[in-house]
Parts: sequence; structure tokens; C-alpha cells
Amino acid sequence: MKAEEHLNVCEEQVYKRVFNETSKTIFNYIYYKFGNEEKANDAVQEAFVKLWENCSKVVPEKAKSYLYTVANNLYLNVIKAEKVRLKYADSTLKTTNETPEFIMEENQFKEKLDYALNSLPENQRTTFLLNRIDGKKYAEIAEMESVSVKAIEKRMHLALKSLREQIDGI
Amino acid sequence: MQNNYLAKWLNDELTDAELAEFKKSEAYETYQKIKESASQLESPEFDVDKAWESIEQYKTKEETKVFILSPFKKFLRVAAVIAVLLAGSFFYLNTLNESFTTDYAENKSITLPDASEVILNAESELAFSEKKWDKNRNVNLKGEAYFKVAKGKKFTVKTTQGLVTVLGTQFNVETRKNYFEVTCFEGLVSVTINGKETKLPAGNSILTIDGNTTMMKATVNGVPSWLSKESSFKSIPLHYVMDELERQYNIEVVTEGIDTAQLFTGTFSNDNLELALKSISVPLQIKFNLDGDKVLFYAEKAPK
Repeated sequence: MKAEEHLNVCEEQVYKRVFNETSKTIFNYIYYKFGNEEKANDAVQEAFVKLWENCSKVVPEKAKSYLYTVANNLYLNVIKAEKVRLKYADSTLKTTNETPEFIMEENQFKEKLDYALNSLPENQRTTFLLNRIDGKKYAEIAEMESVSVKAIEKRMHLALKSLREQIDGI
Repeated sequence: MQNNYLAKWLNDELTDAELAEFKKSEAYETYQKIKESASQLESPEFDVDKAWESIEQYKTKEETKVFILSPFKKFLRVAAVIAVLLAGSFFYLNTLNESFTTDYAENKSITLPDASEVILNAESELAFSEKKWDKNRNVNLKGEAYFKVAKGKKFTVKTTQGLVTVLGTQFNVETRKNYFEVTCFEGLVSVTINGKETKLPAGNSILTIDGNTTMMKATVNGVPSWLSKESSFKSIPLHYVMDELERQYNIEVVTEGIDTAQLFTGTFSNDNLELALKSISVPLQIKFNLDGDKVLFYAEKAPK
């Protein structure tokens, strides 16, 4: 890592490392926002092409936030959010000993959660999913969204609150 | 309970007391379920290799593009500089003098903006400014030319050896190396040589050779002999005659055992070399030998 400090993003190895570390997150980030896989793929390409074009101006430490900014700006006020479709990890193996009623309840709950997630404001949903699915720390999400950690905590709190209210029908 | 406690809870940042309190709340069950279900959530498939490939493709395309573009940009830069230079020199040259030149064995007739006529003899150059013509009729002359000046303002012929000023007349100016001759055929010509002004009435000729000025007679209302394809000389050192011969025929003249300072009076044809050579050699009693475009004059009794 030390040696890489002197390198800029134009170096193939640095660029590739940034790509491997960040491309999936960018894809998810844009997908959580807009629920459109194609747009998310485009955003990844656009962000990395821009990074390549400006590689001499972007230091490796700033590469990630540069990518998020490009991806974020790409669809700023351009597209409307579509339904975010998320799959659940196949839990049948773990739950073979569960009663059919339990499984049905479980599936109903997932459906509700799915619906509730789509009812969330885009920034709350994105924050919640980045944290829950991608395991991103609040600080990282704050960097991506260019807001404070406090603001992310607030979004997270509100997201959970809304989800629960939706699910419990309050 | 602290602010955003739900976020803190997800992050395991609640104190034990807070956690215990939260667990007692009726909403806790749902929150717990949400947390569990969310942990099973999966984002859509993302094909990393495909994404990398498409970016790589773009990058190589970009790189070839760069190779194509940059020389073009360089070319554009060069083209811009050339365009500026061309435009600049165009305007510069436009303000510069109009110029006419004749080569060996060539005559050229030029009409000046005021309908004055100039006939350039061989190996001569005439330049004038068309833009400033209305203000002053100035021409620069190297070599020999015959002027038929239309009546009007002062007309000046500038040469390195002297200045010829007229109002409207016909005259011939010849300026060669250390040789300056002005012949006036009509009207009055003012000739300034080394700051000394001489009035030259029609039918007179002024000649300066190596700084010695002599006045001679010429035909009134005549024309210089070279206009009728002849070169005439009156007591002119022979080497000037040889020079003129070289100019008229575009040949090289070499002499052997001949005093080229001796004076020559006579005429040679400008369109018949054989005749011209005889015209020079016979009166001087010398011989000549023509070989291609080289002429050797040698003394008849020159020791071989």
C-alpha cells in the first residue's frame, strides 16, 4: 500500500484495485436509489470511464468518493425511482424443520418488508440497504452521500421506524 | 433513549440499560424481525467481469482516439500559425510594393496606375506602391528601363545610384554596376546623383561610370535603341558592352588578352547573336569563339 501512494489512478494496478473494491458498491448504490439494473450498470461504466479520463487528477485516496459523486450526479433529477426488487437468500435449507405456518408467515413478512422498503424515501432506503446488505459503515455511507454521519444515523433511524410502522400497520 | 437509537441499535451501540429498555417496548419484536429478514436480503447480480471488460474496451478505444487526436491537434496548431502568418504576410505584402522583374534576354512592358508606360530591359527590376500611387509617383528601379510618363504630379525614379525626377516626359534610365545612365527623349528630366542635381533637357544623356559623370547628346523624340532590339554604345568601356551582351543573350562572356577598359562605340543586335558578336569583334579587330552559351573573345595576335 505504501508503494502505491506515489502512484496515481492511471496506473493499471491502482485502477484495477479501485475497480474491484468499488464497482459492486456503486452498482448497488445506484440500484437501491432507482431500482433499475441497467441504469446501475451504466453508472458503474460512466463513473469508471470518467475516473480513467481524469486519472491524473484524482489521487487514489479520493478515487472512491470521486466515483460516488460521478455516479450520483449522473441521474440527478433525471430518472424516477422504480420498484427495487431484492431477493432473499435461499433460507429453505435452514428452515426445513420449521412448520409450514411459520414459513408462510415468514414469507408474508418478507413481502411486507419488500413493500415497506419501496415506500421509503430514496435516501432512507439507500442508506438502510447499503448498511444491511453491503455492510457499509455509517461513516462510509455518509461519505458516499456527502452528508454527516449524524444525518445517516437519522436516516437509518427513520428508515427503521417507517418500516416497522408499515409492517405493523400503524 | 438517545437520539436515533434505532440506528445505534443496528450498530450495536446501545448501552445495556438502553438495550434492555428497548427490548421491553412492543415494537421491538418487529424491529428484530426486520433486522433478521433484512440480513437475508440480496442485491441483484452484478457481473464484475463484464463491467470491467466494457471499461477496458472503452479505455483502449480512448487510447487509440488519443493517438489520432493529438497529432491532429498539433496539426491544427500548426495550421493556425500558418493561417495567421499567411494572413499577416498577405496584408503586409499588400501594403508593400508591386514589383516586376525581367530575366536575362527578357523585356517586359508595364503600365503604371496612371497609364504611364515602363519598358523593362533584360535583368531589371521595377517596384512601386500601388496604394500610395495617388500621393506620390515613386518607382524603384534596378537595371534599365524606358519611361513614358503621363503628365501629372512629380514622377520619381529611385535607383541606388541616383534619383530621376520628372513631371511628364519620355526617358531611359540604366543603372548597372558602377554605371548609371539617364537619357531624356522628351521634356525635362531632373537627375540627382550623389546629392547633385542636373537638369537634363530633351536630347541629352547623362552617364556616370565609376563616379565620372559625362554629358552626351541623344536623339530628340527618339527611343532608346534597345526598344528596337539593338544595344547602342558611345565611348563606353568594353566590359559594360560585354555585360550588356551577357544580359541580352543570357550567355557567358569570357575575354582573353583584350583590354576591356578600351572604349567602344557601336551597336549590336539584340536578336541575332552571330551578328552581334561580329558587330563587337570586327571594329575592335578581335576574334570570338562561340561554344554553346559561352563566348570567348580573344586578341587576333594573342600568343597561344
